Formats: sequence, C-alpha cells, structure tokens
Amino acid sequence: MIARSVNLARIEQPEKFNAPLFRSLVENLPSRERWVVLDLGAARAQTISLFGQHNSRLDIADLADEVNELNALSDPQLARNVVEALLPKCKDEATDLVLCWDIMNYLERPALSAVMSRIAARGRNGTLVHALIFYSHTHMPTRPGCYVPQEDCSLLDVATHLDARPAPRYSPDDLTQCLADFSIERAMLLSNGMQEFLFRL
Amino acid sequence: MFERGKKDNSDKGALDTIDKGSEQYFSDQKPTSNTQAPKTPDRTEAAVIGRSIRIDGDLRGEEDLRIEGDVNGTIQLRNNTLTIGSEGKISANVYAKSVTVDGSMQGDVFGSECVSVRKNAQVNGNITAPRVSLEDGAKFKGSIEMDPAAVEKALSSQPSATKNQKAVDANAKIASRSNIRLSTPDTATVKGEA
Repeated sequence: MIARSVNLARIEQPEKFNAPLFRSLVENLPSRERWVVLDLGAARAQTISLFGQHNSRLDIADLADEVNELNALSDPQLARNVVEALLPKCKDEATDLVLCWDIMNYLERPALSAVMSRIAARGRNGTLVHALIFYSHTHMPTRPGCYVPQEDCSLLDVATHLDARPAPRYSPDDLTQCLADFSIERAMLLSNGMQEFLFRL
Repeated sequence: MFERGKKDNSDKGALDTIDKGSEQYFSDQKPTSNTQAPKTPDRTEAAVIGRSIRIDGDLRGEEDLRIEGDVNGTIQLRNNTLTIGSEGKISANVYAKSVTVDGSMQGDVFGSECVSVRKNAQVNGNITAPRVSLEDGAKFKGSIEMDPAAVEKALSSQPSATKNQKAVDANAKIASRSNIRLSTPDTATVKGEA
C-alpha cells in the first residue's frame, strides 16, 4: 500500500535526483571524438539531445515490452538468439556506453545474464555500463520506468505505472555473477533509494 | 490518389521546434511548441498520397510530399520535405532533406537536414541526420546517427536514380510499364498526370 502511494506521488510529480556517476559520465563525454551509446530503455528527446551534442550514434533497444518474453526463455542458445534479434544491429562498431536505467531490475537472473553477455559481445575493452538498481525499496513499479537526463546532469524519474511489485534488490554479488564479463567500477547509493552502478568491460 | 494539398501547418511547427536547438528539450519535458509556431503567409503546397493508396516500388520527386497511405520500397525526395502522416504506413528506406514521421515507419531514414519523430509515431529502423528530434511518447527502435561526418558519409553513399529505375514522382507521373503497383479501391481518386 505504501509502495502504491509512493508511485502515485511519482506519477503526479516526477522525481529529480542526483546521480553522481552519471554526472561524471556526461562530464567525460568530450574526452572522446565519437560515442556509440546503447540505451536499453525507451527513446527520450533529452537523451537524444544530450548525446547528439557529442557526435554520437545512439542505439535504442527499448526492451521494456520484451521483459516477459526474455524472462520466459529457458534455453540459453535461444535466449542468445532472441536477445541478438532485439538489440539494434552492431554495424561493426563497438559500443562505448550502455544505459541500463531500470531494465536490470525487471530481468530475472538468466535473462539478465543473456542480455549482458550479448552486450559484452558488442563492446570493447573499457565499455561502460551505467545501471540503476532498486536497493532500499522493497517494491518497484510493475513496468520499467523512464529516466530522463536533465541539463544539470541529474536524472528525472518519470514513473508511468501506479501498481507495484516486489523489487529483486540485486546485490553487488548478484550483479557480478550475472554480468560475468564486467567488473564493478564504482557504486553509489542514491537519495531515492536506488543504487547507481558503473560497470566496465 | 496523388492530391494537391496545402502543407499542414503542424509540420512547419515540427521543423521550427527542431530549429530551436537542443536546449529546449532539456528545459521542457514535452516539446509543445508545435501549436505556437508562427504561421507563414506563403504556405507551400505538398503532394499527398491518400490513405487508400498503396505503392510498391521506388518513389522519387522534386517537391514536398505527404504520405497517408502505404508505401513499400524506396522514397527519394533529396531536396524536399517528406511527411509520413498519422495514417501513413511506410516500409521503405527514405532519403529526403527533412522528414517528419507521425505514422508507422519500418526502414531507414536519411535526412540531410533533420528528422522529426512525432509522439504518435512508431519507427522501427535507423535514422541518419544531423538533427534528430523525438517527442515523448513516440515508439522508436533502432539507431540514431548524429555524427556529422557519419551522416555526410551515409548521405553521399545513398542510391542514385538510374535510367532503368522506374519511379513514381511527386508530380504523379505514373509510368505504365514501371514496377509500381497502385491499388486504387473504388473510393480512390487519381489527380494529376497519369
């Protein structure tokens, strides 16, 4: 009941929060001439605008609608093929940065492993993964939310669903196992109860 | 079928929204300036493909075009604006100066100036353009290439028309032996030269 109230408030007034690791990423964008960014969430004008300023190619996977399908896959080979089909084509250019804003919370461990192994396959040494994980809260919205980068490098949590479901609250150990190709570079607990992770391939 | 129509003011608004630059998208969660776009006294005419029309093949032209029907194949309006209306269903690679998508689009979009994806649009494909705008609510899956060098390279390698290619241009000149199949139900009307 409390979780539902929290979500209703978020829908009425989107919550803006500081994400220091994301801020450091944005501040570091000018360091490369070109970025290939993979966003596992839905396309947002602000995300396009942000990376459009930095000679980027932005790949939008928008996996929110495929979460149940991915979680239902039991055969690893089939999961691999399905994930590959769901991700935008790689185009012979390694991915530099992956935005996993919320989607990890909705993937069960096998599906999470399958997705991240395919992402690792299209990356390079040093590919970064930025993720937001429900940590303090026991519940989360039934569907992945939408996070919008702001001009001050904060993120806006645009919740779109009222109903709540239990959050998996993945621990760093869980994530280390599921993201076998990646290592945790940094992690920070945020004021909104989420934990911000930066993984490196 | 091909109708002469006034260009929708809302399209002009979409392009104006892009011209205002990226700062607006950071300051406004939902770009709403479409309704505030200044009205231009000299409204440009655009050819229209009506919603009951289906075209399979290559489509080329030298004037602005609005599509409310179904088009499968390739669309080339190198120096003009293409609008895929809310009723439009496109399965094609598109090359134009500027493209506005308000309908359903499957394929790659190349815009030498800009590409705008409206909130009700569904796009499955890749967008290559120096400026890309997307309204919240739009469904998009694919890649957005905004690197000027990559955009220039992609646009310079776009397919060019050949003598043997049969095409329908925006003036509705329909070659009788072309590879275009026009499905015109009883309700459809054909205007222009045929």
